[in-house]
Amino acid sequence: MNLKKIDVNINGKDYCLEVEENLRLIDLLRDKLHLTGTKEGCGEGECGACTVIMDGEIVNSCLVLAFQADKCRIITIEGIEDEIIKNSFIEEGAVQCGFCTPGMVLAAKSLLDKNLNPNEEEIREAISGNLCRCTGYNKIVSAIKKAASIKRGGDSE
Amino acid sequence: MNELKIVGKSIKKIDAKDKVDGTAVYPQDIYLENMAFGVTIRSTRPHAYIKVDTKEAEKIDGVIKVFTYKDVPGKNHHGVVLKDHEVFASKKVRRIGDPIAFIVAETKEIAEYAKNFVKVEYEEIPAVFDPEEAMKEESPKVHDRDNVFYHFKIRRGDVERAFLECDVIVENVYKVPMVDHAFLQPEAGVAYLDEDGRVVVIASTQYPHFDQEEIAESLGVNKDMVRVLTPAVGGAFGGREDITVQIHLAIAALTLKRPVKTIYSREESFLAHSKRHAMKMYYKTGALKDGTLLALEAKIIGDSGAYASWAMNVLRKAAVHATGPYYIPNVKVDSFAVYTNNPFTGAMRGFGATQVPIAYEQQIDILAEKLGLTPIEIRLKNCFREGSETSTGQILEGFIPLERCIEELKSF
Repeated sequence: MNLKKIDVNINGKDYCLEVEENLRLIDLLRDKLHLTGTKEGCGEGECGACTVIMDGEIVNSCLVLAFQADKCRIITIEGIEDEIIKNSFIEEGAVQCGFCTPGMVLAAKSLLDKNLNPNEEEIREAISGNLCRCTGYNKIVSAIKKAASIKRGGDSE
Repeated sequence: MNELKIVGKSIKKIDAKDKVDGTAVYPQDIYLENMAFGVTIRSTRPHAYIKVDTKEAEKIDGVIKVFTYKDVPGKNHHGVVLKDHEVFASKKVRRIGDPIAFIVAETKEIAEYAKNFVKVEYEEIPAVFDPEEAMKEESPKVHDRDNVFYHFKIRRGDVERAFLECDVIVENVYKVPMVDHAFLQPEAGVAYLDEDGRVVVIASTQYPHFDQEEIAESLGVNKDMVRVLTPAVGGAFGGREDITVQIHLAIAALTLKRPVKTIYSREESFLAHSKRHAMKMYYKTGALKDGTLLALEAKIIGDSGAYASWAMNVLRKAAVHATGPYYIPNVKVDSFAVYTNNPFTGAMRGFGATQVPIAYEQQIDILAEKLGLTPIEIRLKNCFREGSETSTGQILEGFIPLERCIEELKSF
């Protein structure tokens, strides 16, 4: 297998790595760097458990090859220090089995970085690539609403 | 009254912080020193005699061992009620997905590659996929016994006479399909030997204590030589009540004396665990002109697939709930659990109580329509109240707020 050299910034840290051509970004994160907060639920881009932020956009890391991350900035759940979003998830009861949670938090982060006043439809759109099988969507939506409200300087709803 | 500390309060989940931080540990997140990786070879045929040849696979550089039924040190079986699953299929496969072999290699890539070199010869035999067909005497047998392995009966009053007194009778057949839990975390696990030589199995399971028993039996060791650890569980909904990765990993770790890990893909997860029972429900419900329910006769056939799992409990529960929350003085219910060559079925949220409402509630709506009553009126007339007697003779006591619940629906 051919190796490719990549320079990638993950959670603010620069890495210079040699990766197999067919290595997926999720495998680089989990198996090589042991950043296991990124989860694999389906391996085909349906469930969003493997969501990471790549140059500001959320992507399914199971559908990105590691070498495609060359010269990119990747943020995984381990790089999210946004306690407002995380606490809102905890307080609203938006965390059940937790396997979708890192992806949900990243989808929420990506939304709120661009739009601090999302309406319900925009929130649902923002997490539409993330499946939760514990059927906790309403609580996840209210957690994101609450986080947005706190970030706007308002009280929690 | 003193204010309650817990009841009525919103309590933060104890592991929620780890889960939002991404530090909660699921079995696939565990990486141990010197850890080998296992992949499972599964049946691609629903009903066939098999011959397995692992020699070529075992020659591949990096393959440590390919386990088959011959490598099970103890009993080659498991199952929550009946021990009708094999750890590895020995002579025959009974469904697509039956485990046949477990390849353990130095890396996942090698193990996956070696899958192409395990030769499974299938001699296909007639299969049966329709439970009603499977009930017939001439039907292919999934196990060495009758396909009907459970029949539960409820007899109350005199159904035949009661139907003669009914002003209206509604007869219909309802079918509900299999459903997969599709919990978000596919099955995964790690097994290793601890410093005392005990086999430690880390797996997301709903039943560590059952698993311990079943692992010990298949290893042929005492229970105290097996530890089952349950880390974070990524959803289950009943789908993690049967053995999947546990025994394969335990046998490999005990034999090879090194840590072994396995992770199922989503596709393999669908093959590996149970489904919700598909049911076919024959319903005959009779009422008087004023809407009073007088008689119910139901036959409920549950497709258990290739293995029993919790079918007895599920089909019993379906029968017990067959009247719904309505008082009916004359009841005859027969429920059956039947083996077929379909995916096996087991526990899933409701355990049999989920399927029957499709039948009994529609029956009530159709009766109401025929009698010129509203769906609310007919339900208020018949719903369980305090002191009502169910079809199994249970007197309902305590708080039965069904009437109020139905009344509230009037405003919708």
